[in-house]
Amino acid sequence: MLSLTPYENPMYFGMLAVAFIPIVVGILWGKRFRWYELLVSIGFILLSFGGPKWEQGVALVGFLIFEVILVSLYNVYRKKKNDTWVFVIAVLLAISPLVVVKLTPLMSGTPSIIGFLGISYLTFKAVQTVMEIRDGVLKDYNPWFFLQFMAFFPSISSGPIDRYRRFRKDYESVPDREKYLNMLEKALHYVFLGFVYKFMLAYLFGTILLPKVQHLAVQSTGLSWGLVGVMYVYSFYLFFDFAGYSLFAVATSYFMGIETPMNFNQPFKSKNIKEFWNRWHMTLSFWFRDYVYMRLVFFFMKHKIFKNPKTTANITYVLNMLLMGFWHGEKWYYIVYGLIHGVALVINDWWLNLKKKNPDRFPHNKFTEYLAIFITFNFVCFTFLVFSGFLDTLWFH
Amino acid sequence: MGKKLWMIFGPLLVASVVLIGLLFSPFKINRISPTIEKQAATSLSPNILKGDAVKRAALSDPYYVPFFGSSEFSRFDLTHPSVMAEKYNWDFRPFLMGAAGTQSLTHYFQMQGINHQLKNGKAVFVISPQWFVKKGANPQAFSFYFSQLQAVNFLQKQHGTRTDRYAAHRLLKMEQNTDNGNGMINKALRQVAQGQKLSASTQRNISYYKRLLAHEDQLFSSLKLKDDNQKKINRQLQALPNSESGDLIRQAIIKQAKQQTSNNDFGIKNSFYSHRLKDKLGKFKGFERNYDYTKSPEFADFQLVLNQFAADKTDVLFVIPPINQKWANYAGLSQSMLKGFNKKIKYQLKSQGFDHIADLSNQGSQPYFMQDTIHLGWNGWYAFDKKVKAFVDGEQEIPSYKMNNQFYAKSWQNLAPDDLNSYIKNNG
Repeated sequence: MLSLTPYENPMYFGMLAVAFIPIVVGILWGKRFRWYELLVSIGFILLSFGGPKWEQGVALVGFLIFEVILVSLYNVYRKKKNDTWVFVIAVLLAISPLVVVKLTPLMSGTPSIIGFLGISYLTFKAVQTVMEIRDGVLKDYNPWFFLQFMAFFPSISSGPIDRYRRFRKDYESVPDREKYLNMLEKALHYVFLGFVYKFMLAYLFGTILLPKVQHLAVQSTGLSWGLVGVMYVYSFYLFFDFAGYSLFAVATSYFMGIETPMNFNQPFKSKNIKEFWNRWHMTLSFWFRDYVYMRLVFFFMKHKIFKNPKTTANITYVLNMLLMGFWHGEKWYYIVYGLIHGVALVINDWWLNLKKKNPDRFPHNKFTEYLAIFITFNFVCFTFLVFSGFLDTLWFH
Repeated sequence: MGKKLWMIFGPLLVASVVLIGLLFSPFKINRISPTIEKQAATSLSPNILKGDAVKRAALSDPYYVPFFGSSEFSRFDLTHPSVMAEKYNWDFRPFLMGAAGTQSLTHYFQMQGINHQLKNGKAVFVISPQWFVKKGANPQAFSFYFSQLQAVNFLQKQHGTRTDRYAAHRLLKMEQNTDNGNGMINKALRQVAQGQKLSASTQRNISYYKRLLAHEDQLFSSLKLKDDNQKKINRQLQALPNSESGDLIRQAIIKQAKQQTSNNDFGIKNSFYSHRLKDKLGKFKGFERNYDYTKSPEFADFQLVLNQFAADKTDVLFVIPPINQKWANYAGLSQSMLKGFNKKIKYQLKSQGFDHIADLSNQGSQPYFMQDTIHLGWNGWYAFDKKVKAFVDGEQEIPSYKMNNQFYAKSWQNLAPDDLNSYIKNNG
């Protein structure tokens, strides 16, 4: 059977274009053909997880059934009672498949059989739904809709991570013609921008330049111009590859009348590291902000664990980013990457505060802004070098 | 709404129609200009071997003679055939096909696009003994010069002969190690290798795919040409005397070669010596003692090339270059092994009727014959030039080849040259 990784191949885009014609025509006339949309979704999921990758397909179906049952049961429970321990167990169960998938390679050295491309993104969606049910803001949970939210094919394999309530608002309405035409215009623009990003720039940096600078860098084990090259080239590759992919996912959703949130907003022009996380892989960092950071801060404050609110914030920064590091994978360089960013956020807060208190000592002008962008950019590239795992190859293999 | 929709999707539609038209139309879409042909003849770019359009355009005219070979072609000194042909305005120009890493298999597949141009024509083929190592062609090097267009050309012209089956088998083996194949093509290759016929629908799909690839080639392969080599040639033109007199040319050779081989005792070009040998010289002493060019799958791959020449009735001059004698002595390369290789390859050629052989292999000790350890230069190129010019300017013969599929067999590939006489007795 034909099997295609999403957004990697001209044929995939051709098939998308043909499959979308009825959907686009329908929405232009104010109609959603639900069954047709479902058919298209199943078709494209089969295309990504069928054929030679059928084992991943089975794992995906198993995962979806498990999460739907779990979240539905929790919803039934929450209508009657609201014990914290039940909530904790529900969250732990929701992330348990991901934990198994992440830990299996450490234990046995082989990938887990319950893993599939995109499991972590789906886990985020499930955990977030459980949390909103617990908060009581998600009152009319519907298992069938939850399944469609989870399995929304444009973003199934690598995000962006949408939110249940936001998604439902789009899904249950049909955008009016003028708005939809604007969405189509943007969508097509995103597709072609994505082509430039992923198939030209990411190719230039990742396929043409990266092997060259890596080859230079491995000539010595220490600092070298080659290593500096790897740092910048890898950073640009990472951005263009992932941002290109995200543009495709957003554009595909727009064609279906769903405004999936953007994932990147010119991250390399951030003036500080906090701003960077508001521009880089945004749906992930906002997810961590809303469902890890805020909740941890709230928890620490409520139980008065740290006296000082600043200490609370700082410790939570580090914990939050460390968790993100662990989420990327159980390798030292992912964890160090998380740690560095956590500490950087702490320093960043301290600095901004210092600057605010002493406006006379620290000038603020165009030059300092550019300097800030320059420093942030270089710092971020350095952390991407850590993230890339290239140092691991260089030093330990 | 119609207008807005057109504003959004119109450009995409127009672009798609133009692109599909360009790629799938049955027409030829780009004329290759004489300038491109001239550039391509010496560019040594991989995309010339990968594509058809430029080669076909150039080789359709007997003015360009196909030169098959490998890394020696990049040694542009004053007597390099491309320099000589231009300086003395020969009646023909070499069209160089080959670079570091091209061996028989690459040539067999790249010939599939130019069979028509090779038909009843002349060609020069430089055989490097270094190709004939135990493992044969390196899959990575092969894939560097390989294109799907070559595979499609092959699939369209094959009709299930022993040669076709062997070629398909070898190609699959190469691809297996580099995994850059195409599903449909690999399936068809497997069928050919197993002696099955391709279904009508497969053949049709292949011909559509061929249109796409051929147009891609016509549109883009002339864009990626480098013309650095023309600059090298232009520099060398200055070093040659204006009249094509043997004495003056020999003087010019000595002048250039003496000056460029001053930093070592091997007669190796200074730049090569200082970059590649000087620092590791001690390591090379006796290093090539166990090199063996007599047992190799390359002999069967070479047979593919011979079969293709026979099918095209091409009149071919084969050149066997020597090895720098001083270097061979230093590195410990066995003379008897080289003699054995020579004997074996000549038997494969002569027994099948390939009689034009310029065997330079015993001239490796002549001064300034080699530019480095294994590549022709100065006097070597000059000797090459004389043989090649006489051959190309000579009468076109209608060759009669008697092909023998025994040369595909493992027993031939691994035959020790010492056993050649008994082999001939048993198979003759």
